[in-house]
Amino acid sequence: MAALRTTSRLFKASRPLFRPMQMRSLATVTDGYSSTSTAPPSQTSTTKEPAADPDAKIKTFHIYRWNPDEPATKPRMQSYALDLNKTGPMMLDALIRIKNEVDPTLTFRRSCREGICGSCAMNIDGVNTLACLCRIPVDTKAETKIYPLPHTYVVKDIVPDLTQFYKQYKSIKPYLQRTTPAPGGKEYLQSKEDRKKLDGMYECILCACCSTSCPSYWWNSEEYLGPAVLMQSYRWIADSRDEKKEERKAALDNSMSLYRCHTILNCSRTCPKGLNPGMAIAEIKKEMAF
Amino acid sequence: MASIIRPAVFRQSCLNIASKRAFSTKPSPTFPAINKQAASILSKNALGNSFVKEVVPKSIQVAAFHASGRRPILPPLPQVIDGTANDAAKVPSPSPSHGSYHWTFERLISVGLIPLTVAPFAAGSLNPLTDALLCGTILIHSHIGFEALIIDYIPRGRLPGTRKAFDWLLKLATVVVGVGLYEFETNDVGLTEGIKRIWTA
Repeated sequence: MAALRTTSRLFKASRPLFRPMQMRSLATVTDGYSSTSTAPPSQTSTTKEPAADPDAKIKTFHIYRWNPDEPATKPRMQSYALDLNKTGPMMLDALIRIKNEVDPTLTFRRSCREGICGSCAMNIDGVNTLACLCRIPVDTKAETKIYPLPHTYVVKDIVPDLTQFYKQYKSIKPYLQRTTPAPGGKEYLQSKEDRKKLDGMYECILCACCSTSCPSYWWNSEEYLGPAVLMQSYRWIADSRDEKKEERKAALDNSMSLYRCHTILNCSRTCPKGLNPGMAIAEIKKEMAF
Repeated sequence: MASIIRPAVFRQSCLNIASKRAFSTKPSPTFPAINKQAASILSKNALGNSFVKEVVPKSIQVAAFHASGRRPILPPLPQVIDGTANDAAKVPSPSPSHGSYHWTFERLISVGLIPLTVAPFAAGSLNPLTDALLCGTILIHSHIGFEALIIDYIPRGRLPGTRKAFDWLLKLATVVVGVGLYEFETNDVGLTEGIKRIWTA
C-alpha cells in the first residue's frame, strides 16, 4: 500500500505539468460584443422579407398530375402561381420555370424549344399545341389549364404514350420505295413542280397534336390511322420519285384505315405548324375514288 | 416474400378505395337529381323512426341507395401493345367494296339526293318513277349513314357480339323501312305527295 501511496503522491505532483496542455486543447472564442451593450434599433438596419412586387403579374397554371408509382391515387390538377414578369413568353418557359424553381417532380417532354422536335405537344387551354409555340396569354385573370394529349395513355403527368402512333407511322412505310435504279445512276431527280407538291407535308414533325384531336381517332385508334399518319402516307403517294403508289393506296383501301375520317377537320384547326392534314386526306380519297 | 404480399396489399388498398366510393355520403356531382330523391326517400319513409337513424350509420343509410358504383359505358382498357413497340401496326388486307368503291358510291348517292329532293317540288308534277327513285336513294343513304355510326361507336374488337347484333338490326330496320315505303308508294299517296300534304308552311 505504501508503495501505492508514494506513486499517487508522485502523480499529484506531476498534475500541474499537464494542465496547460489540457487548457490549450480547448478552443476559446472571445466575445467582443458581450462586453458592450446592444445598439439601439435606430442605429441598426432590419432586413425585411422581400415585399411582393406591386406590378407582379401572377398567373395561375393548373397542371394535370399523375404518378405511375402511386397507381391507386387518382390523377389530380395541381396549381402553380408564377409571376409573368419573371417568366419567358411561352408556355414551355413557364413549365421549365415551375420544374426548376417550384416543383422538380413535374414531368414533361421537351427538347428543342422552337417547334422543330414536337416533344412538348400537350393540351393547353383545351387546344392541342406545342408548349414551345404557345404564348402565355397576358390576361392574368384567365387561369391556364394544361393536360396531356387527349385520349392517350399517360406515362406520367403530361407525358403521353405514343407507341400506337409510331407503330402506325411505321406501317405506312415512310421511306422512298423504288424498283428501278436512278436514271443518272446517282440520284433520283425531281422537277420543281413535283417538289412543290410536297410542300405543306414534309414539314410535319409528328407531334401527334392533330391525331389526338380527332374524335374518330379517339374512338378507333387501333385501326384508324389518324390525320398525321395519313398525311405522311399522302406525302409518299404524292412523291414523284416513289414507285409503289398502288401498294400504298391498297394498304389504305379498307373501311377502317382511311375512311373513318369524317372531315371533322379538328386536325387542320389544331396543327401547331399550320399544316393541313384534312386537305391531304381529302386528296387521298379523291385519288382513290375512281 | 414481399413480391407475394404486394399484389394482395395492392388489391386491398384498391378495394378500400372502391368501398369508400360506394359508401360515400357525399352527394354525387354528376347526378344531383338522384341525390335529392334519395335524401327525400330516406327522410320520409325508410328512416322515419329515430331508432334506424341512430343505429344504422349514415354511410350505410346512403349506401342502400348506391348499391353499385358508377359504370361508364365503355371504359378504357389497360394499354395493350400488339407485338413489340418496334413492330409496325398490322395493315388490313385491301377490300375496295368497303373502302374506295363504298366511298365513291356513298358520295354519288349523297349528290344524287339533292336534285331528287328538289325536282318534284320545283317541277310541280308528280312522277311515280322519281318518287320510287327518291325512296330507294334515301333508304340506301340512311343505311350507309347508320352503318358508319355503328362502325364508329361499336368497335368490333371490343364488343364483337354487340357489333354483330347491331349490324343485323340495321339490316332488318332497312328492310322494314323499305317494305313500308313500298306499301306507302303503292297503296297510298306516295312520299312526295305525303310530304306536300303535311308541309303547310
